[in-house]
Amino acid sequence: MQFRRLLIALALAVSVIASLAGVGQGEAAYQLGAPEKVLQGTITVSAASSLSESFVEIAKEFQKENPKVKIRFNFGSSSSLVAQIQAGAPSDVIASADLSNIEKLIKSGEVTSSGYPKIFARNQMAIAVKPGNPLRVKTVGDLRNVKFLSLCGLTVPCGQYAATVLKLARLNINESKITRAVDAKSALNAVSIGDADASIVYLTDVLSAKKSVALVKIPRALNVDAIYGVALLRNSANREVAVAFINYLVSAKGQELLQSFGFIKI
Amino acid sequence: MTKRRPISRPPVFIFVGAIFGVMYICLPLVSLLRKISWGSLLSQLTDGPTLSALRLSLVTSIAATVLALILGLPLAWVLARVSFRGSYLVRAFVMLPMVLPPVVGGVALLAAYGKSNGLIGALLFDNFGVQLTFSPIGVVIAEAFVALPFLVMAVEGGLRAIDSRYEELASTMGANEITKFYRVTLRLLRPSLVAGIAVAWARALGEFGATITFAGNIQGRTQTTPLAVYLLLESDPQAAYSLSFVLLVVCVLVLISMRDRWLGSKR
Repeated sequence: MQFRRLLIALALAVSVIASLAGVGQGEAAYQLGAPEKVLQGTITVSAASSLSESFVEIAKEFQKENPKVKIRFNFGSSSSLVAQIQAGAPSDVIASADLSNIEKLIKSGEVTSSGYPKIFARNQMAIAVKPGNPLRVKTVGDLRNVKFLSLCGLTVPCGQYAATVLKLARLNINESKITRAVDAKSALNAVSIGDADASIVYLTDVLSAKKSVALVKIPRALNVDAIYGVALLRNSANREVAVAFINYLVSAKGQELLQSFGFIKI
Repeated sequence: MTKRRPISRPPVFIFVGAIFGVMYICLPLVSLLRKISWGSLLSQLTDGPTLSALRLSLVTSIAATVLALILGLPLAWVLARVSFRGSYLVRAFVMLPMVLPPVVGGVALLAAYGKSNGLIGALLFDNFGVQLTFSPIGVVIAEAFVALPFLVMAVEGGLRAIDSRYEELASTMGANEITKFYRVTLRLLRPSLVAGIAVAWARALGEFGATITFAGNIQGRTQTTPLAVYLLLESDPQAAYSLSFVLLVVCVLVLISMRDRWLGSKR
């Protein structure tokens, strides 16, 4: 009896999850007489966490144009994505928040010369503070007054960019005031849901979280130029779709979408 | 004493399954040993950030176990000995942190004890200037949150197994409540109490998600060993492997010591 009840509960839970995930929905209408070769299949895109919002939107548009394509994302810090790929994680495309992580993959042979490494976006850093900016942070220098600053780990691109910003402002913040997050999203979360007073993350992330944090811009002279690179991975199981996705990113439509999220033109 | 039934030999496929089960757990752990550079193990563990992470882990996990004990012992008592309506509901809630994703636990802790918008945390900060987040005390709170159910479960089981006639006997012999508790109940409870403390401590020591979400990851302040392992994996993998090895050894020791308590002289 107990067991049976458990089974029913389990079945219920599974069906709820399945319906949320959209399993069992009708197949997309079969396309007849397509003029050119129809792209189809699934690709996995490993992308920097700062691309979460924009890439989900771009994938939606891309899938609208190519209904038989499915894009799966693996978001994380660029450096952890590279480590995963080098450890053999199956992935078709890497989109990194810097170029040095792509270079790492070229060195280890995961990206070959035919891998179309391309620059597809640029970003800047910005300061996120609590809504209403209670500590009145106006410049990078004002960060010396905050109690806890949330930054990415120093091996993660956003952590390195933030370190550069602090260096350009000649600001030396004691490590005992810095909480280190695993990627850009979690660094920002420490301000939006946690008790960190401020964070230096990507402008695009701060813009996406506008409801839960306030934005303090960093002037050009004290800012960095975060260059985002994308490449096809050697072990891609679906090169056609992967390359089409990369090309879509640098196309006019893809660029327009990226810019709507605050990225800068390449 | 119940009579043991003669053990029949299980079919071969059961044995094969069991071997795979053991391998499934042991293979990754043994593989980890291969990654460790034994020559520099000690120097890596005594390096500044690693050492401070180990020290912090030791202190906070012990404090968390004490906190879990203070809260868990009465709770287990009530669950084991008092029958009341909805006791199963209380038990379900208390056990929740065992199955809840630790990050969710961390978010919940923020909602309760966070400085900026925590239910209690805001009161604490506004009135007394106390901030629990980003502090070692915050680490203790997060660790105790996930460790408590393990302690409650072990102790409750132990209490249920005690023959209450011993306690009744103590009462008839004139023992007051406190003497009865110390001299009889606690003594009979000792094996399961020790087991509960050991598992709760090991769980507190390994806590990651709730800690990084609630207490942050500040070197020397809230960066415990598991947090350090995760961050070091990218910058200094060797140090990360060394730290993982320490955690592994500690957990193995805890489990082995429990085996003695459970299956040794007492049975």
